[in-house]
Amino acid sequence: MAESLNLVASINHTLRSELRKNERLRLVGYDIGPVGGMFRATENLFEEFGEDRIIDTPLTENGILGMAVGMAIAGDRPVVEMQFLGFMYNAWGQFIYHLANLHQKSGGAFKVPVTIRAVFGGGIKPLPFHSESTEAWFMHTPGIRVVCPSTPRQAKGLLLSALRCDDPVIFLEHAKLYRAFREEVPEEEYLLPLDKCRLVQEGSDLTLLTWGNMVHVSTEAVNKMDASIEIIDLVSLAPLDIEPILESVRKTGRCIIVHEARRTAGPGAELIALINEYALEWLKAPIKRVTGFDVAFPDTSTEEFYLPNVERITYALEAVLGFEF
Amino acid sequence: MGKLKWPERRPQEDFERILSPEGELVGERPAIDDAELLRWHEVMVKTRMLEDMGVRLQRRGVFSVAGGGPGEEAIGVGAGAALNPGDWLHPSYRQNASLLYWDIPLDRTFGALLGHAPEHVRAHLPLDPADAPKVKLTPYAVFLGAHIPVAAGTALTDKLNKRDHVSLAFIGEGATSEGDFHDGLGLAGVLKAPLVVVIANNGWSISIPSSRQTAAETFAQKAVAHGIPHRRVDGNDVFAVYSATKAGVDAARAGQGACVIEAVSYRMTSHNTADQADIYRDDTELEYWAQRDPIDRFEKYLTKCGLLDNTYKEAQRERIDIELRNAVNRALEIPATPADTMFLNHLHGDPGWLFKHQQEELAAEIAGKNPFMDFDGSGLGKGE
Repeated sequence: MAESLNLVASINHTLRSELRKNERLRLVGYDIGPVGGMFRATENLFEEFGEDRIIDTPLTENGILGMAVGMAIAGDRPVVEMQFLGFMYNAWGQFIYHLANLHQKSGGAFKVPVTIRAVFGGGIKPLPFHSESTEAWFMHTPGIRVVCPSTPRQAKGLLLSALRCDDPVIFLEHAKLYRAFREEVPEEEYLLPLDKCRLVQEGSDLTLLTWGNMVHVSTEAVNKMDASIEIIDLVSLAPLDIEPILESVRKTGRCIIVHEARRTAGPGAELIALINEYALEWLKAPIKRVTGFDVAFPDTSTEEFYLPNVERITYALEAVLGFEF
Repeated sequence: MGKLKWPERRPQEDFERILSPEGELVGERPAIDDAELLRWHEVMVKTRMLEDMGVRLQRRGVFSVAGGGPGEEAIGVGAGAALNPGDWLHPSYRQNASLLYWDIPLDRTFGALLGHAPEHVRAHLPLDPADAPKVKLTPYAVFLGAHIPVAAGTALTDKLNKRDHVSLAFIGEGATSEGDFHDGLGLAGVLKAPLVVVIANNGWSISIPSSRQTAAETFAQKAVAHGIPHRRVDGNDVFAVYSATKAGVDAARAGQGACVIEAVSYRMTSHNTADQADIYRDDTELEYWAQRDPIDRFEKYLTKCGLLDNTYKEAQRERIDIELRNAVNRALEIPATPADTMFLNHLHGDPGWLFKHQQEELAAEIAGKNPFMDFDGSGLGKGE
């Protein structure tokens, strides 16, 4: 049995099935009760599971995250809806001090199985700070996992794994993908690994590294090219599944990285550093990054020029494919 | 140019008090038997001696930093004694007395002060599960106040899972200015979490006096905004601290939600051994507070009750001194923490190639090999 679901419906379906299965799972956050979440990811869950399982809270991201850590060490499995990733700025203290560090600082005495669901990325023209792509800050923090699905089917398997993982997991849901397309999502349970990248398509001329909505924008650009391009969806941003990435770059000798996050010290910088350290001698061209610029996420009237698009990715592909030392 | 200091504000003594500074009962003595009272006394004395020893060892260069709360022992003991086994205790670094009340292993405490990783301390000072503290303890919140939302969480989960437990958190008056304090109380208030927060108001938060911490008359009243009941007690009166905390704990256990207790005391020393209080405060208040010392006061009462005399006290000091010395010696025998202990307990399961590679780099360096000799990702073996 499979159902045709979009990303947000897949997440709702997955939360519901795990809430039924594990009574220790509790959803905690703002606007997740009767209203069913800003994007309706928790629609109808309040009605089925009640206020002790779907816990609407006062407006305090920092408090919610800290409380979730307390719940986790006392034996529950909280799932925090952070609404927008930008709201994590308000929760930074609890994120660093307790979520990411308590397991290590307690010498392993406490585990912190908290999943944070957060909407990230641009393209839906919201208010400022609702389009953030701050993956790099999380990648720079030890003790957490960061995953990002790019399709509804993948979202189910990844979210189920996150909900059962003993580590804190930041689960990034791209706003643009929530209702972008539907996909057959199997009714039965399946788990996808939290620490493995996904080969989107094989190729031999160039490796394109990306995640989230940019998987789809990049695929569109690649489809217009007369070249054999390997696309890797990173899926796991922390820890990085670097071996298959290096292997691909050694095979193709060329690489571009596409992400919405700002460029300087962004995720792409780390990827290039690792390729430089462990695969330099295979490179046939410099690596280029198609990324957000080093600016505050712009106003809605110009956000389309900030976000990587098909044309810009195509330029990067042409430049790197055409380069000869 | 004269040295400038913030004005110090002596707190109003209109708080709840049961035992006067002269050791007289001025309220109702809680229903505690004599043996338990002597245990409270023992823990208060032991706490002061432990903290003294910590400071001495820091001066000798054994510990990098030490501190404590001489003069605040009544807060830790009075509040700690109100808990039941299975309850959560979220400590602050100045309420060591609460931890000693619940029998934390002293050798491990000294091991931590020596800077060893907790995994390493546990491996070298194994503990019979029967001797483990009977309350659930979190590590000290070094981010002051950050444990309040966490305490709201442990309280909420105990309540939602129908466990008969409460959570108690200590916090200094300075940290009540942090957002975390209000974040946690806001949640605990709305969700009716069985949480008791004890504010140890010792007048000083490093160099900032309580007068510079809030314009409010008391710290207890901060609970009002969260719809949480509050009490304000003489923090140097172990009976007053116990009675108020016990009432709060009982109410929380009975499903009536959270409460806040301000225990008014004084920080008789510098913030810790890295601080020098005479830069920013005068000694003028110390004498006033020395006359209100919680141990002196309690001893006067116990002596009047015929429970304590000098022979007992001398033998007690000797007994505790030996216990502390033995614990320090056991801690000093812990071998150096292996460097790669730092890699433990980050993620469950496979930490990933990059993490393991960094472990290998450190191991190579320690073995005297060049850790950078991997240019193709095949590992460090090639560079030997």
